[in-house]
Amino acid sequence: MIVFIDLGRNMALYGIKSSIINAPLYQNAAASLRSIRQKGLDLLPNVQFSNEKFLYKVRDIGKNFSSDKQRLALGITALATQPVIDAKNKRVDEKTRKVSVARTIAKIIAGTLTGFLIRYGCIKSIKSFSQIPGKGVPKYKTIFTPKGIKDNQTDAFEQYRNAMGTVIALGIMVFTNFLIDAPLTKFLTNTFVKHQEMEDKK
Amino acid sequence: MMNSSNLFSRFKSAMYKRYGENPGTMLVHTGVLGWILSAMAQVSAVVFNDKISKEQKSFLIPQELADAGINILSFYLITSSFKKVASKLVSTGKISTAKIRNFIKTKVDNPEKYIGRFDSNIGKDFPEIKDDYKVFKNGIDVIASTAGSILSCNIVTPVLRNEVAAKLQKDALVKMHETDNNSNTQIGKPVTMNNYIRLSSIKYSSQSLKI
Repeated sequence: MIVFIDLGRNMALYGIKSSIINAPLYQNAAASLRSIRQKGLDLLPNVQFSNEKFLYKVRDIGKNFSSDKQRLALGITALATQPVIDAKNKRVDEKTRKVSVARTIAKIIAGTLTGFLIRYGCIKSIKSFSQIPGKGVPKYKTIFTPKGIKDNQTDAFEQYRNAMGTVIALGIMVFTNFLIDAPLTKFLTNTFVKHQEMEDKK
Repeated sequence: MMNSSNLFSRFKSAMYKRYGENPGTMLVHTGVLGWILSAMAQVSAVVFNDKISKEQKSFLIPQELADAGINILSFYLITSSFKKVASKLVSTGKISTAKIRNFIKTKVDNPEKYIGRFDSNIGKDFPEIKDDYKVFKNGIDVIASTAGSILSCNIVTPVLRNEVAAKLQKDALVKMHETDNNSNTQIGKPVTMNNYIRLSSIKYSSQSLKI
């Protein structure tokens, strides 16, 4: 009975969808949108890469650049931009601005350190616990292996390990955010502010 | 009723299917998840902190939610747009490698009908070079996602947050002064050190900690 109701509902939805899609108004709007998008694409030049060194780098990034490296890249670039943005924030007075810059630098260092290390550790750990089931492989070492996987050397499986490691890391970091990041940020901020005050006194 | 073992098994398969071929999408989605979890942690830190009074909570929770909204939206919109545009440029052949383009030129008489056409998909139209296409596309996707996340996390979000935080902090200060029956409001003046420290002491973080 439920199957028939579902079937009827799906057919009705399909009917509504196709009548909308086939309506002249929809067709005209879709054609116009396609044309605009095509014109936008035409504005860009065709780019062709042939430098093998560059292409090797691109392929390598696609295969091996996982979330831990992305977090590290975010942290390093954050150090170059965020303190400058805070230092130029004219909405707060000078002393506040200095504390704000110190806090931002401390936050970036603490967040990047824990973010990178926990992601890196989790991705590494997932690799150990996603082996292919077989003789001599303990069951706990296959705990993160999806069903039906026969080869753990493929690029797709490596990407899966990265994704799973990242998700586990995010779960852990909900707690380390308070247990490590926050106290470390506070400690570093105080250290930087004290250093700044000593510099100002000189 | 599905047991936890089946649920976990389905979760692993879904992760493999969804992200095995799409590292760029994985970086966008886990980045958004990171911001959501971070925001939840920040908001719960205020909600469940007994040392923060009810009145202060009524100021701080909207501030934390505003922070969270800016962080999540800015990250998702910018990073996923970068990734989508890069994907489209590769799938239409607008950005390509010499090997892929030469293959198309030898395979069809009218390559211009495929290269740079909005509806074309090089990976599907030419399955013979699927592997070359895929590794190149994955690389470009990851580069675009990372560039998008750097732009959003390190430039757009801090600027937006400074604007919004300054306004919210001033509003909060006004309300706090009103609550304390103190008429010495700070409207229109820069936030002072004392007020900043006062706010910082009750606000877990003036800017969310990215996890």
